[in-house]
Amino acid sequence: MPLFKDDQILIIVPGSQTTLAQLGIPESLTPAKLRMRSRMFPAEKLGEWEPFKVRQREKESGAQQNGDGADEPEYYEDLETEEGAVWPIVEGRIVDWSCFFALMSYIHNRLSPGLHTPILLVGQPAWGRKDHNRLTQFFFEKFKTPAFSIIDSAYASMWAHKDLVNACVIDVGFEKADITAITNFCINSTGRQIAMPGCGGEAMTDQLHRLLSSQRFTRDMCEQLKKNPICELLPPGTPLPGKSDESGNDLGNPASAASTGATDSGPGHRLTAGALGEAPRGPGPNTEVGEEGKDEDDNEGILDVASIVTGGKMEEFLAKKEREKLEKQAKKKGGVEAANAASKITKLPNNKREKATFTYQDHALLDALKGMNMSGQKMAEAHAKFDQGNQKPSISDRQAVEVTDANGTPTSPKQAGAPRREIEVGVERFQAASGGIIDRIADGIHRTISAVDVARRSECWDNLILVGNGSKIRGFKETLMATIQSRYIISPSSATIFTSELPSNLSTPAGTGSQTPQPQLGPLGLGQPSSNVNPLLLAATTAAHNQNLNPGNALGSNQNMHSSHGQTPTSAKWARVGEYFPEWKEHGFDEAYFLGAQVAARIIFVFDQGPSKAFMTRADYNDMGPAGISEFSV
Amino acid sequence: MSTPNQFTVPNATEYGGDEVSAIVLDPGYSTTRAGFAGEDVPKSVVPTYYGVLNKSENEVELLFGENSLHNPVPSLEIRNPLLSDCSEDWVEDWETASKLWEYSITSRLAGRRSTDPKNNGLNDPNDDAMDVDVDAMDDAEKALEDNPLLMTEPSRTSSKTRERAIETAIEGWGVPAFWLGRSGVLAAFSAGKSNALVVDVGASTTTVTPVIDGMLLKKGVRVSPLAGNFVSQQIRLMFASSQTPVSLTPHYMVLSKAPVEVGQPSQAVYRKFAKPPTESFRRWEEERVLTEFKESVVQLWGESGRLSNGVPLSLSEDFFKDKSKRIFEMPDGWNQDFTLDSVRPAEGLFDEKAALVDSDHPRPQPEHTIPNLIKSALGSCDTEVRPLLMNNVVVVGAGSLTQYFVKRLEQELVAMYAGPRVRIYASGNTVERKYASWIGGSILGSLGTFHQMWISKKEYEEHGANIVEKRCK
Repeated sequence: MPLFKDDQILIIVPGSQTTLAQLGIPESLTPAKLRMRSRMFPAEKLGEWEPFKVRQREKESGAQQNGDGADEPEYYEDLETEEGAVWPIVEGRIVDWSCFFALMSYIHNRLSPGLHTPILLVGQPAWGRKDHNRLTQFFFEKFKTPAFSIIDSAYASMWAHKDLVNACVIDVGFEKADITAITNFCINSTGRQIAMPGCGGEAMTDQLHRLLSSQRFTRDMCEQLKKNPICELLPPGTPLPGKSDESGNDLGNPASAASTGATDSGPGHRLTAGALGEAPRGPGPNTEVGEEGKDEDDNEGILDVASIVTGGKMEEFLAKKEREKLEKQAKKKGGVEAANAASKITKLPNNKREKATFTYQDHALLDALKGMNMSGQKMAEAHAKFDQGNQKPSISDRQAVEVTDANGTPTSPKQAGAPRREIEVGVERFQAASGGIIDRIADGIHRTISAVDVARRSECWDNLILVGNGSKIRGFKETLMATIQSRYIISPSSATIFTSELPSNLSTPAGTGSQTPQPQLGPLGLGQPSSNVNPLLLAATTAAHNQNLNPGNALGSNQNMHSSHGQTPTSAKWARVGEYFPEWKEHGFDEAYFLGAQVAARIIFVFDQGPSKAFMTRADYNDMGPAGISEFSV
Repeated sequence: MSTPNQFTVPNATEYGGDEVSAIVLDPGYSTTRAGFAGEDVPKSVVPTYYGVLNKSENEVELLFGENSLHNPVPSLEIRNPLLSDCSEDWVEDWETASKLWEYSITSRLAGRRSTDPKNNGLNDPNDDAMDVDVDAMDDAEKALEDNPLLMTEPSRTSSKTRERAIETAIEGWGVPAFWLGRSGVLAAFSAGKSNALVVDVGASTTTVTPVIDGMLLKKGVRVSPLAGNFVSQQIRLMFASSQTPVSLTPHYMVLSKAPVEVGQPSQAVYRKFAKPPTESFRRWEEERVLTEFKESVVQLWGESGRLSNGVPLSLSEDFFKDKSKRIFEMPDGWNQDFTLDSVRPAEGLFDEKAALVDSDHPRPQPEHTIPNLIKSALGSCDTEVRPLLMNNVVVVGAGSLTQYFVKRLEQELVAMYAGPRVRIYASGNTVERKYASWIGGSILGSLGTFHQMWISKKEYEEHGANIVEKRCK
């Protein structure tokens, strides 16, 4: 009987932003069942933490007054807000242990595993030995787990891929990126780029904010823009739409091309539609140029509705908006032509369009509304007024929805997510990486692999693995690869073709008079039809291409062991992911480390069960204490 | 089921909670290695180079670690706190060296950092929107209070230097116990030998250290500047003196490159800088390219005869005929076949006459070549130990990874000392070769007897820094 069963295993993957967890490994490996934002809220008592922000609500005036609770303030849990949250993991490092442990406990409680549950924790590369010791102590002593192991996230990512021995894992997180070269299943600690700062998704939000702040975009808007598919990275050298004549022609609308030169149009210009609360119309001929001046006042802070609300001008603002809505409707009737133009434009692929719109969920506004202690009814009204989107909730409030489901009933009157608005954005949306993040990551990969043993480098280059939610932005993978291709690939030069490998595999002309070199041994010559084809040419054309430039790679090693002296990379490829995970195919492999962790957990807890010392049992812990965890590794 | 004690908390004495493993610090000129004793590779390998960022007139920031040294930021200077010559003083700038070494330990091992990477400016200077993590900063206690420290030093250092080292460790970092080991001796340990003639080809120096019974023979130590950096310099001279001078373009300058034919001018698109990075930054990045060149092109002349004596052309052509071609492509796409030139840069290590020279870089001293170092080291040892040493020549250091280095060394030694007694030990594992003295330190530090060797804080306080001379021979 196995020591542990599949359905008992608990896997936790803590990240700076998102923590994944799952109890039990299903037959067909799935994406994580529990996705949590990695944050907790300080409770009233110092050192205690709440999973949700607790707000105080004013008694509704019309509500019945219970005799005993007259002076007691009413509390409720706000399930969406992140105001005042503490994020215990920063750049991969655990900076607030008490908060981190609270998060772990909360996850543990929610999944409520039995006592016979082994735990696999996917560790950040930035964690050191002391961190591991501390975690080990916590997990054994708090959860009484019978077996515990920490697997490095780079390993976990590799385990999700098929038949890999050597790989280079690029994990793009929230504020950092880790780049790890793995050779022969061993992590190369030399040259490993741990927590490269400014290389995560946050850096791209920052860059968007920098570009768009002149147009009064808030950080939150930029964050949501980044997550929207209209925000895209274009491979280096791709012209931005509107910058080239070609795209102007495509639009068939010279006026719009003229009026929307990406950087030189005024700040108020692009936002007009969004400010008026209009549906997106794309860059049509009448881009409300005339209204620009008139709306200048309104534009002031219109994107930042929250400040209007807190500033007490809400009623005024709402009234105005109502009026504008009517105006707009009137205008719409006259604008049939414009609508036609717009529909034509929306058919273009995103990267050909100069402008695009996205739905923005104003969390700041929601927080502001809540902060005003409004009654439930009033709040709902205000909410409805601000809310213009009628789409389904986007990814960003999956969390809230899921939480509500889990708790059965929502705990506060209005929890249907933040008000939504449409916002239009120009070509800045293609420039999220213009801060150099791709360059830095590409250079980091080059450095990491350059620190690996010379003979293994090309295999690392051929098995690049990109994981991490920071890389989710559209076009990231392609752009990174294009950058590597254009900057680091060693081109097969005319001098290497046909000549590089052969001599080392073939005998030199013997002094006996036979002038034609004969293949000495090895698979190249065998099985080839004997003909008068030049064996050199034959060998050259049948040998694998990438070996041409790495002599000795497949031919055994010479006395010094470092046989392959070829320069790398001669090619660079993404590693292949397994085809047999249907659920993951849909979900995307950005969180491949969770998939790998499932594979690893099944192997170490269920199949291996201990002989290879891949996990620490409670008995081991009692013998060795927390420091013993360094003896047990995957 | 095997979980009998699931609900009992182990008690600290029972599991030896007071036992902490020592940290081994091996500061080299190019990289500084640090890790826990008993492990097989150092967990933390950081460049010994550091960055100096002039933020404003009076504000200077020091940057450590790989992450912060490769961004082409204006006014970032790259420096090294160690002395590059072979002097006994070893360290040029103790203050910075101490910070850098502390960083190498705290960043990965001790779990706490002295400088937080988020506000040490290694991000794009515009990245100011990041929130600063304050918690990690206000930790006033010294980072290394928990672990004993085993530190390595070059085989030849002055007693002043050694006292400074123990001061830095015990007073500066607060380590509870300290021991200073000679890197040559530890490298011999890593090869499992207590008698050895260690030939360590590092970045700034090549050191030959005779070790007998685990003890350093001080009078036999020979140091020479002909090492990895010398080879890099030779490559630069070779590039500059070739018929069409080779332009050494580091990676950060290139936006994209296009494949070109051998020897044709490059067609790269270069990156434009409003204010170009400093000269020292450029040199540091060029060094990356040169390292790649050394790894993939440079080899040693492994046949009979010496290049400087004018090897017959036919012979040298024969030599290369059955060798693979040695193409190298620069970051800007320019590429060349260095078949014949691949043996020139490193030849100076063995034969001063073959070294490339210019007005700034005179011909090296003949006694500095590796064969002569070994000869002189052996000559100063007692005759009875010489056969023992010759039988145990241990080759370490990243510089020794040059292709055919070991073969060439063997030839030279056999030519000097005819007879079957010369035996060379060179690990085939690159990591063991590169980090030999760290590994030796790791072995020593994990022995149960290490605590009898170290100098405890109390002893240091009683006897003063001078104790290091008595206890760490």
